[in-house]
Amino acid sequence: MSDGREPQAGAVVARRRFLGLLGALLGGLGVTLGTTSGATRQPEADVPRERPLKEADFYRPHDLAG
Amino acid sequence: MTAVTCELCPRACVIPEGAAGDCRVRVNLGGKLRATTYGRPSAVHIDPMEKKPLYHFHPGSRIFSLGTAGCNLHCLNCQNWQLSQRGGDEVEQTYRAEPAEVVAAAKGEGCRSIAYTYSDPVVFYEYVEDTATLARAAGLTNVFVTAAYINREPLRRICRVLDAAHGDLKGFDDGFYRRVSGATLKPVLDALVTFREEGVWLEVINLVIPTLNDDLAMIRRMARWMVAELGADTPLHFSRFSPQYRMRNLPPTPVETLVRARAEALDAGLRYVYIGNVRGDTGSSTVCPRDGTLLIGRSGFTITANHLTADGRCPTCNDKIPGVWQ
Ligand SMILES: [Zn+2]
Repeated sequence: MSDGREPQAGAVVARRRFLGLLGALLGGLGVTLGTTSGATRQPEADVPRERPLKEADFYRPHDLAG
Repeated sequence: MTAVTCELCPRACVIPEGAAGDCRVRVNLGGKLRATTYGRPSAVHIDPMEKKPLYHFHPGSRIFSLGTAGCNLHCLNCQNWQLSQRGGDEVEQTYRAEPAEVVAAAKGEGCRSIAYTYSDPVVFYEYVEDTATLARAAGLTNVFVTAAYINREPLRRICRVLDAAHGDLKGFDDGFYRRVSGATLKPVLDALVTFREEGVWLEVINLVIPTLNDDLAMIRRMARWMVAELGADTPLHFSRFSPQYRMRNLPPTPVETLVRARAEALDAGLRYVYIGNVRGDTGSSTVCPRDGTLLIGRSGFTITANHLTADGRCPTCNDKIPGVWQ
């Protein structure tokens, strides 16, 4: 079984590692992305904004199944 | 670089260091498996119990419902693909919600239950376990809404803190599971049996997709299997398909098909068979199998009548109606 109880920092680390690897790979291959801002230069830019639970609107209509 | 094997679901992903499993959210960090969405739900809502759908479990109540990114199935027709087919850093929004905060919020809103749902709670297993443990201690009940693609040992363990499960049985054909969901049938059947063995209240849903799993002979085999392995009192919900995600080439299920499927399942011996996801109240009422007395009337997610006695019996014949009513 896994231990998922200390993932908060872990998730970010994993993502940075992945982006770092991706960036190195793309850079190494000379691949140009559609935007020059570069995922590796601003790693936080596309991280979803984490909001405290108290900011959630539990009664907002939604179309999720289940 | 140490690879780890995730033993949670039948995929048994071997995950290299720095990479994620097939579900996108269980990763190998330094040789340890981590659940990246722990405490990070991306959908949190309060829904009617009837929406899960559970029809024999606290009818008419509201249930605090949450789900995280990721899923261990990849159904071509997934309605929740924007949540389930994305990793934790790809979804539009995420909340910080430690287990104690979830329980406090649910209680604060007057809910008696928490549902782990929307994606598949299998992939946020540790979050479910910790939250459900606290919830139970606080007097709340726990509902697991799942495709039931999980190994037996972790399922048995999580069942200790579950009160009800809503299990998806997507079709009674292994080839269908492989083609449409990227999974296999046998582990799902085993998991449904495990819920029953562990005393978790179980209702089963079958989404009927035109031409793919609407063969009445197959539906009959499925119903017979349910009678034999889960018991004739296990509610079965036939749900209407609507085209979405990567399955837009098929039409919505005709209501007539659902009506025929329901008749087939009743004829095979199941005693509580419902039709869902349709307008009106066709096949949505609970009636006494012995004398036909209307027990619970429903329209959409609304209870329109409840004639069950206080201890969950038919008022006409006094038979006990299976479910968790109080
Ligand atoms: Zn009766």
